Amino acid sequence: MKQAMVLAAGEGQRLRPFTVNRSKVMLSIAGKPILQYVVEALAQNGIRDIVLLVGYHKEQIFDYMGSGEQLGVAITYVTQEKQLGTAHALAQARDVIKGEFLVLPGDNLIERATITRFAAVRPEALLVKRVDNPARYGVVTIDRGKVRGIVEKPEEAKSNIVSTGIYAFTTRIFDFIESELGIPDVLNRLVDRGGDITVEETDGTWWDVIYPWDILNLNDSILHGIRASLGGTIEGGVSLKGQVSVGKGTVIRANSYIAGPVVIGDGCDIGPNVCLLPATSIGNNVVISPFTEIKNSVIGDDVNIGPGSMMQDSVIDRGCVIQGHFMVSSGQEEIGVDHEHHLVNVGAMLGEGCRLGNNVVAHPGVIVGNYSQVQPLKLIRGRLPDRSLIV
Amino acid sequence: MCGIVGYIGEKQAGPILLNCLSWLECRGYDSCGIAVAGGDLTVYKNAVRVKALEETLPPGIKGTAGIGHTRWATHGEPSQVNAHPHGDCAGKIVVVHNGVINNFQKLRQQLSGEGHSFISETDTEVIPHLVEKYYDGDLAKAVAIALDEVVGSYAIIVMMAGEPGLVAARKDSPLIIGIGDRENYIASDVPAVLDYTNRVIYLEDDDIGVITADDVKVTRQGAGVDRKRHRILWSMEDARKGGYGHFMLKEIHEQPKVIRDTIQAYLLAEESTEDLFGPGDTYRASMLLLACGTSYHAAMIGKYLLEELFGTPVRTELASEFNYHGYNIAVDRAIVITQSGETADVLKAMKRLTGAGCPVTAITNVMGSTASRMAQRVVYTRAGPEISVAATKSFIAQLMALYWLALLYSKIDISQRDNLVTKMRQLPGKVQQVLDNDAVILKCAGQLVGYDHTFFVGRGINFPVAMEGALKLKEISYIHAEGYAAGELKHGTFALLGREAPVVAVVAQDDTYEAMLTGIKEIKARHSPVIALVAEGDETVGELADTVITVPQTDAIFSPVVNTVALQLLAYYTAKQRGCPIDFPRNLAKSVTVD
Repeated sequence: MKQAMVLAAGEGQRLRPFTVNRSKVMLSIAGKPILQYVVEALAQNGIRDIVLLVGYHKEQIFDYMGSGEQLGVAITYVTQEKQLGTAHALAQARDVIKGEFLVLPGDNLIERATITRFAAVRPEALLVKRVDNPARYGVVTIDRGKVRGIVEKPEEAKSNIVSTGIYAFTTRIFDFIESELGIPDVLNRLVDRGGDITVEETDGTWWDVIYPWDILNLNDSILHGIRASLGGTIEGGVSLKGQVSVGKGTVIRANSYIAGPVVIGDGCDIGPNVCLLPATSIGNNVVISPFTEIKNSVIGDDVNIGPGSMMQDSVIDRGCVIQGHFMVSSGQEEIGVDHEHHLVNVGAMLGEGCRLGNNVVAHPGVIVGNYSQVQPLKLIRGRLPDRSLIV
Repeated sequence: MCGIVGYIGEKQAGPILLNCLSWLECRGYDSCGIAVAGGDLTVYKNAVRVKALEETLPPGIKGTAGIGHTRWATHGEPSQVNAHPHGDCAGKIVVVHNGVINNFQKLRQQLSGEGHSFISETDTEVIPHLVEKYYDGDLAKAVAIALDEVVGSYAIIVMMAGEPGLVAARKDSPLIIGIGDRENYIASDVPAVLDYTNRVIYLEDDDIGVITADDVKVTRQGAGVDRKRHRILWSMEDARKGGYGHFMLKEIHEQPKVIRDTIQAYLLAEESTEDLFGPGDTYRASMLLLACGTSYHAAMIGKYLLEELFGTPVRTELASEFNYHGYNIAVDRAIVITQSGETADVLKAMKRLTGAGCPVTAITNVMGSTASRMAQRVVYTRAGPEISVAATKSFIAQLMALYWLALLYSKIDISQRDNLVTKMRQLPGKVQQVLDNDAVILKCAGQLVGYDHTFFVGRGINFPVAMEGALKLKEISYIHAEGYAAGELKHGTFALLGREAPVVAVVAQDDTYEAMLTGIKEIKARHSPVIALVAEGDETVGELADTVITVPQTDAIFSPVVNTVALQLLAYYTAKQRGCPIDFPRNLAKSVTVD
């Protein structure tokens, strides 16, 4: 297998506000977008001819991935103008696909080992995995090592074996695409017509991000595998413990305390006297002012956090400006998304470009829409739409 | 970043290497060189672009194997001696290198002590000497031992007189091998070789490849490994544009990164910046800003900034006009702005200024360019190589350099300065916001596309932005566009307004706001369609203008950044809808080296 097609056109609506201005594949986990983990896993398995199927906010994917040379791959971009499902996406790439190829979702985080055996399998084949909550996924029924059928998000799951959305195909698959929306429908047709689809199981990493708080779980898991690397300037009296990665041009000022795993990007200005605790990821060009403590959180690029703030279990998106003494309380909270309710342990979720005045207090589980503004001394809670103004 | 290539086969290597290098110029172009093995090794290199090297190439360079390099200096000056390829003492081994060798000082001392002589100041030169030291008849083995001593990143190609093959190795820098018929290629990236072959092998970190005309052998820690051959489907142009339709759009979208890189390079740099304007308070005396074209618009914005933050008078001049001023008014300091550093009019003006004893600071994007060598002091912009003829990211990078100078030397109090620095750090996000919300701009482009004449108006610090917006539109879409100070329209230009002449108005939230509103009303009274650029939250302009493009709010002095990016997109989409050859507009060249 030398060629792979990565599906990166989707939006990820349940991840709003973080996916209003970017595609789900570009969500940053431990300092890298999810898509990069997928492409790196392919490259490490010797698959370097990569077709990226893009659509929703494709420019940010172009900006980040370029022609692929930094990751040692050659990328061909194919645009899906309207997001009409994975089967339609697959059909778009008909002209650039040759022979056998893999299809992978760009928004599920995988590692090298996840697909090592699968990369050598004979098409057609489907990679499956056993999970605890199969009803969230496409549940696969298997008969003597071959697929019998796939049921998407069943009310009652008949097994805990689900499709990873990773397939091995030959160009023959294009003959089976009619007007379906999803690849599972195409597979079901293929099976109905007597075709064989081999099932291969993986016990490697395969994580999906469905809700905003999944970002935190994933970040935590990935950070525990990082290795320390130091760029930039570390001033005197700084204490670095565990695995801490600091990007180039970043300054960590005196008396800061950083307990890894922590990833800090390029060009940041942190401290003096800042405390970063596990498992925290910080983007590029971030300013964190004195006497602030951050724990188990993901901070995007260009964020500015004022002095004396305290936050944990939080996601702060690109370009937020937070004045001093921002207090996030974290705890178990029931959050509703699309009529589903979830009990999660979470702090604050801030969309991009939010501006918070001094002494704002965030109730656990608050989700603030992009470009919102909060006046000083406010308590924020619940779900605030984009461009909210809290006065 | 640099680019390297290698060729071995039956054809003359020189022209092939130069062609491959020309495709690598997007990785850098301040100097380049090739080495060709015929009977002997011949090295030809200089601090010029690939085309210039090609034009001066002596006819005697013959041979069917060779290596080449194109450079983008980030430390140290580009010069003939620092250009690659670099050789060993005997002139038998030559090396091209992309990357940084961290322990080269130590290696160099050690090798010098053993009698090796160095001629350049580069880190690369230790490699050929190390290979020379360890060579005992097997080049690949010598390279492997040499690289064991090297700490840093590299992609290298080594060639030795009398050896049948080229040796390539990489660590943390990209390198591929292109497979041909009885010939093989090596390059930093795939587009460089796509003129000749689409079959490539990707080398992994710590791989060492021995490449002959008929064979490619890859080893790792002494053991042979099998690296798959890949067939590349993409065309060269697409590959280099990384998904975008044009370099211009790619470069527009690179601007958040350019701003971040600038902040990282300038604000956080611990390097001494004390002497950029000379000692003491001399910079506070009279100052001259000098440039041409888009850079002149940056200079005009610089005038507002420096006057506002320094409180001293600043003159701006077009370099092409300055050279014909009969009487040269003395200034205490001049700043020239030129992307390429080769603009003939600017260089001529620099000569005059220097001759008159005026110290000159150059703001340029190209390290080692003529302007950087002529100036007493240089501020490098962090735009990276710009391919599109229409300047976009280099303009934003020039503005960032001017902001930085203004903040560095201004006498404003520290809290005001911190406030501005905080705002500056938010610019990448604000620019990204403009890029992410381009649907309205696309729609406005649809409105402009059918007109033959347009006017761009602005006031204060956004008057130059109107000029720049008009320049972008005319140079790539071929629509006649004029940039005006909004208050000047009524002194004659009103006669041209009407339903057939739309006006793009840049409205800033500063003390020009009320005057701009009045201006728009006057324009509407002459029935011109109005597209207004306004800051988020404005609700008044929408009632006057036909269409509104909303940009994020920022401090008034930074508003030119977000406004310019919106106008760049407007010009781009208009030109695209008119089917113009956006990256290479008719009659224009990237740098104007004639006066």
